[in-house]
Amino acid sequence: MKHILPWTALGLVLLLSSCDNLFQYNPNEETLLESERNLTAKNIDKISQLPVSDTTRFILMGDSQRWYDECEDFVQSANQQKGISFVLHAGDISDFGLTQEFKWVNEIMTCLKYPYVTVIGNHDIVANGSATYRKMFGPLNYSFAFGRDRFIFINTNSREYAFDGSVPDIAWLKAQLADNPTHKNTIVVGHVPPFDADFDKNLEKSYTEALATDPSVKFTLYGHQHRFYEGQFYDDGVNYHLTTSMGARGYMVVSTWEGGYNVKRVEF
Amino acid sequence: MKKYLLSLFLLVSLQSLAQEVGLRPRRKWFLPDHLKLQFAGNIGFVSGGPGYVSRNQTLETDLLFGFLPQKFGGDALVTTTLKTTYSPWRIGLRDNYYIRPFSIGAYLSYTFGPQFDTKWPSYYPAGYYWWATAIRPGAYIGGKAGRNVVLNNRRRSLELYYELGTYDLLIISYIQNKSFLKINDIVSLSLGVKFAFN
Repeated sequence: MKHILPWTALGLVLLLSSCDNLFQYNPNEETLLESERNLTAKNIDKISQLPVSDTTRFILMGDSQRWYDECEDFVQSANQQKGISFVLHAGDISDFGLTQEFKWVNEIMTCLKYPYVTVIGNHDIVANGSATYRKMFGPLNYSFAFGRDRFIFINTNSREYAFDGSVPDIAWLKAQLADNPTHKNTIVVGHVPPFDADFDKNLEKSYTEALATDPSVKFTLYGHQHRFYEGQFYDDGVNYHLTTSMGARGYMVVSTWEGGYNVKRVEF
Repeated sequence: MKKYLLSLFLLVSLQSLAQEVGLRPRRKWFLPDHLKLQFAGNIGFVSGGPGYVSRNQTLETDLLFGFLPQKFGGDALVTTTLKTTYSPWRIGLRDNYYIRPFSIGAYLSYTFGPQFDTKWPSYYPAGYYWWATAIRPGAYIGGKAGRNVVLNNRRRSLELYYELGTYDLLIISYIQNKSFLKINDIVSLSLGVKFAFN
């Protein structure tokens, strides 16, 4: 029995050195700390307490999927920007839809000097991903207002739902757009842009028309294609802006003010 | 229940009267050589099942059925696992104790659920996602300590083992992010017991 002790001790040392997630039960488990729950509501609360100035400046980044080292570099670069109020993550937080990945990205993003909010990406829906997203962040479609701007986050990952017509939820989007009594500038944020093959072709027209017919929508923001891309693709007055991935080491700084906005690309 | 257990016990002891200690019992080839019960290790909160061992006792292959209750996993998950462990060295100790200081092994697990796929549905282009969400290959190293005992005139052994393991998706994540991820971020511990009939 005496001889077993050194091995037990060795086991214990190894055990304690990896205390963080010592025991794991399944790659698809959804175990979260209290500090990792309801992050959307918590961070919107933080944003609502920020001072509002003439110009609102925020960062749009996305596709952090399996690019943790690059994402850390992003945080370092973002923290050096001036006058930023918050960060928008354009989706594909995780790569495999694993809770562990969401937790790692959150660990990195909490090093930002600013609160961050997210929109769900197609990779975040894989396996138990959307269930974890709901627990960790909150609803897949939501909105909040800050200053003169209103942000609508919508799940546009149609392919993950077999193009069944339910995603994106056009009725919800229209209701959100209509609910704008103080005529705030509306910014719709999604992961998959409507001209992408992963967006439901049958909903493309009603989606883009819903944006175009609302005079408060000047521009809309996306990720997914891992490249900077922008244009008025539907000749309807709405500008589409895509940010690139963490792997491509880029993000966008967006500034909005009364009657105008500006998008600046940053590479890190 | 008590009555049933008692008669089972009597049956077992009657049978064992007929056998001598030290002889390898004439067991049917298909009967498992051992049973295992494991805690954690990405194949369930607890998992258990039968296994076989090679003639020289170094290679074990197990079929484990695992369960993760919602209380501990956020989602109730059922997993079956095929795992093979190679433990090349045996160090005998006093009083029939022994250790197998090093084990190395691999497993393939299958988690049940409509949200998990082995083959992606046809609405995805080929190769859209390259991994299957239901099947996870993993690997581990570990060690074990055991004792040979005689129960009802039969040779049995009881082992305790630990394993430090990880799986494909975490390994890939680690390889590509050596600055952010440390090896202990992708390795987790599992503990188990083995009851062998040999």
